[in-house]
Amino acid sequence: MTTRQKAGETRETAVRQDSDIAIVATAQLPAVRRQELTETEMLLMVVDEALGKVDLKRSDIGFSCQGSCDYISGGTFSFVPNLDAMGAWPPIHESHVEMDGAWAMYEAWVRLRHGDIDIAVAMGSGKSSTGDPAAIYPLELDPYYLAPLGLDPVSLAALQARQLIESGKSTERELAEIAARSRRDAAGNPNQQVRTAEQDVDKLLAEGYLRNPLRRSDLPPISDGACAVVLVRGPRAAELTERPAWITGIDHRSEVHNPALRDLTDSASTRLAATRAGGVAGVEVAELMAPFTAQEVILRQSLGLADDVLINPSGGALTGNPLMATGLVRIADAAEAILADGRSRTLGHATSGPALQQNLVCVLEGDNR
Amino acid sequence: MTHERVAVVGIGQTKHKKRRDDLSIAGLVREAAQRALDDARMTWSDIDAVVIGKAPDIFEGVMKPELYLSDALGGAGKPVFRVHTAGSVGGSTAIVASHLISSRVHRRVLAVAWEKQSEGNAQFGLGGGKSGSIGAGGAFAPWIRAYIRKSGAPEHIGWQVAVKDRQNALRNEYAHLQLKDISIDKVRESPMMWDPLHFLESCPSSDGAGAIVLTDEAGGDAAAADGRAPAWVLGTSMRSEPSSFNGRDPIRPQAGVDCAWDVYRQAGITDPRRQIDVAELYVPFSWYEPMWLEGHDIAPVGEGWKMVDRGETAFDGDFPVNPSGGVLSSNPIGASGMLRFLEAALQVRGTAGEHQVDGAKVALAQAYGAAAQYFAMWAVGTDKP
Amino acid sequence: MTVSTQTVSTIQFPYKRTLGPVMGRFFSELTARRIVGIRSGERVIVPPMEYDPETGNELARDFVEVGPAGTVRSWTWVAEPIASHPLDRPFAFVLIRLDGADTDLVHVLDAGAEDAVHTGMRVAPRWRDEPVGRIDDIVCFVPGERAETPEGEPGEAQEVTTMEYFSTITYTDVLSPTLVRYASNLRAGKLTGQRCPQCNRVFLGRGYCSVDAIRLGPELDEDLPDRGVVSNYTIVTPTPYPGQKETEPFARASVVLEGDEMVIAQQQILDLPVSEIRVGMRVRAEWMPEAERDAAEITSKGWGTVAGFIRGWRPTGEPDEPAEQYMNRVF
Repeated sequence: MTTRQKAGETRETAVRQDSDIAIVATAQLPAVRRQELTETEMLLMVVDEALGKVDLKRSDIGFSCQGSCDYISGGTFSFVPNLDAMGAWPPIHESHVEMDGAWAMYEAWVRLRHGDIDIAVAMGSGKSSTGDPAAIYPLELDPYYLAPLGLDPVSLAALQARQLIESGKSTERELAEIAARSRRDAAGNPNQQVRTAEQDVDKLLAEGYLRNPLRRSDLPPISDGACAVVLVRGPRAAELTERPAWITGIDHRSEVHNPALRDLTDSASTRLAATRAGGVAGVEVAELMAPFTAQEVILRQSLGLADDVLINPSGGALTGNPLMATGLVRIADAAEAILADGRSRTLGHATSGPALQQNLVCVLEGDNR
Repeated sequence: MTHERVAVVGIGQTKHKKRRDDLSIAGLVREAAQRALDDARMTWSDIDAVVIGKAPDIFEGVMKPELYLSDALGGAGKPVFRVHTAGSVGGSTAIVASHLISSRVHRRVLAVAWEKQSEGNAQFGLGGGKSGSIGAGGAFAPWIRAYIRKSGAPEHIGWQVAVKDRQNALRNEYAHLQLKDISIDKVRESPMMWDPLHFLESCPSSDGAGAIVLTDEAGGDAAAADGRAPAWVLGTSMRSEPSSFNGRDPIRPQAGVDCAWDVYRQAGITDPRRQIDVAELYVPFSWYEPMWLEGHDIAPVGEGWKMVDRGETAFDGDFPVNPSGGVLSSNPIGASGMLRFLEAALQVRGTAGEHQVDGAKVALAQAYGAAAQYFAMWAVGTDKP
Repeated sequence: MTVSTQTVSTIQFPYKRTLGPVMGRFFSELTARRIVGIRSGERVIVPPMEYDPETGNELARDFVEVGPAGTVRSWTWVAEPIASHPLDRPFAFVLIRLDGADTDLVHVLDAGAEDAVHTGMRVAPRWRDEPVGRIDDIVCFVPGERAETPEGEPGEAQEVTTMEYFSTITYTDVLSPTLVRYASNLRAGKLTGQRCPQCNRVFLGRGYCSVDAIRLGPELDEDLPDRGVVSNYTIVTPTPYPGQKETEPFARASVVLEGDEMVIAQQQILDLPVSEIRVGMRVRAEWMPEAERDAAEITSKGWGTVAGFIRGWRPTGEPDEPAEQYMNRVF
């Protein structure tokens, strides 16, 4: 493991060891309202692109893991054809999680820690355009008490946002400011879907509620997309790319399922995962999977991020939300902040389940040149 | 980094039935998990992480059910992980859980796999809700025909496996089917469901769950010191290949061969037929027993059926296969792989009760999925590796 | 000839859930217009759970009657309900703290108008006329302290052990350019695939090589023969399930296209008793009449089907091919 730095310690002291694992390349398809390519084709393209960036071939991969969801894709065993994106012949060592690609990456990270392989690829893919998330998402709730009520994700996010506002932890204006900032940032990011929408806070606040207290600008778009990241262990990482994004900590935690049984204005599981992943001290950029504006406030407060931490410079899930890939995209973007933008310490976050039930935090570091 | 050694110290399963109408989904999963915890002398708070596996969500109509089940498995504040690798998922759930320990991320992990098929209809689910679903039996029947034709196996081999596994199930109180009067004649005379497969040559549809508690080496040692022998994990592997392309051998899929040899290598097995004492193979249709004996190089190609014919895979044979009764006797789909994996552990711990194979020290467990293209296997042993 | 570039399918299925002892008790009590929670340490959890959600520890079955009135703790207004919502007129989703409970209940509130709803307001249930033992036996909550109950006294609690849940989801699948081309060619009575330049295999309706994982574009299109050899088959005795129309044993065969190319799986063999189907039999496609050809079965998931275009395959009467050569080619 990396010698963990104490706050204030300079980064030069970090010693990368054979057992350290880094993200060396990422690729994502731009999030779009309707992707005509199949999920398999989407995955094929992002894997090609990610491997191409570091001059690797599929035959170099020791393990791969995909994340997708039948109910989002609209088929039974819908992940089986997606295996073809890996060119699984001769047979390959791979796995699949019915979770966001961020958790596929977690499995790949666990697998790499064994030391017998050096290179892994994690992927996430989804086409939420094919169904209506408002009709599908109630199916992930308690099947006896909640699913029959048809509680859709936007309504649930609104119940959460109201408690946040009425508890004094946020304001509708702050939510509008988050929407405006996300849209401004997205305008410069070709991977995002909502790039030309209104960015003036007062104008946003003048719009009517879609689900009081949430306006359309507080909601994510419906998106299709896919993402892949290449993980490499030990010295191989530094050979493949000049400045790898080292995973100094990754952890995920669940909490009580029924949103009515927990404090919706806090995310204890995010805080715990971040602590287990080494903490947020020194983080410059945080890519938080907050498909609803109020969730960004909750995550930021739960993590205790300082005011100068750049939140979602990609534009975030609010402006591009390819379900089952959105979380991995956050980690990929946090990694690119190191790989491409020269940042030193970043954080990627993914969430799953109703009202932030389950959360994953990945802390990444780049070495000083 | 050398791996942390992994021990199975707790095992639990439900009574598998056509319909567990006494339980909710959470209740079903907890019946298995609580038994595994009790067996491990642990409580919910002792567990660091939970790994959940099941087959398609549409079977019960609950999307990503690990979210709803998190609380039922004491998941609040813990990592809860969901695996889905088609029919092999019960096995890969155990493997992913073991990796959390062998990689030294966690020390005590609960792995649970389940299916409550009676909530919906698997035939419907597999057919995508359309008429004329051929079901799993219809999908596999052609390959079975190909095996029979190529190997020259006589047709009674399938019947014999069907009888043997149901007789083994009579030793296993948890097994779904308890067919006391099973016989070759009964199998032969049962309706032809998916030619060449008779009804009694195919698996039932069950509600059920299986759970294991895995620990690091210290946990295994502590259990042993307490007089509760653990099962040590000797090797794990997963392999996948594409469903469909010209040149694929679906009778003896290369992924299954590679997966087996990966496990053998880790476990130091060079002669599987001799060095493995008992095997739990995923046999949802009787003919898959000889097919996997050959597919995992336990028997030479074309010779698997002869092992069956000679009675070597019977409970009292020298290479017992599926002493639990196997998938042919209990098939909660998502859990079926886990049941193979946990039965292997029961055997090498010497705690399999009526279905204990004498002197079992090394056991192999296997699960496969989709178009016989996803494989998960592990070998477990009495002795620490 | 053009085809629609999208297919629409609705997956509908009734589920029957068994409830177990704790939820069973809750739903049974609902039939007598009573709401119960369960004691968990110092708290009363509503609706009751079998286990403490914080720890997983099993709870003693210590049920406590709560409500029926309560206080709104959060709400949002649904101005335009969708089919999966419990009310078909504008309503509020609410979190309600029932009197005597220590946790909130998710439910809906029929308040007429958005400005009638606020956090802290008092609400009470409107009971269903004929209880069925489901969460919507409380049709909704209404403003005020008094429950709206049907005429007459509630009867004794009925024992509820199961719950019906009907799931219906509609998917709109947009076809990939490869599939659009594939379907257009099928409409014109042509089977086309793409040949992988690396491994020389042909793939039907995929747009990529499953072995080499490379995309295969239109420049690699190749017309394929609509003749082939039965490589294997099964005869299925149908089992009933919702949507099943088959009642008699039916055969499904795999056909290897002439030239030892792609396999088309799950095909019908026409004009032949199912018992006479043989491996190695030579067959030719029977196309649907042009007017009846339909791309509804072509989806972006899976591996290329000919359903909707080829009705089945008819034996040509030519001598069989050697069975052993084909038998493995099922899928």
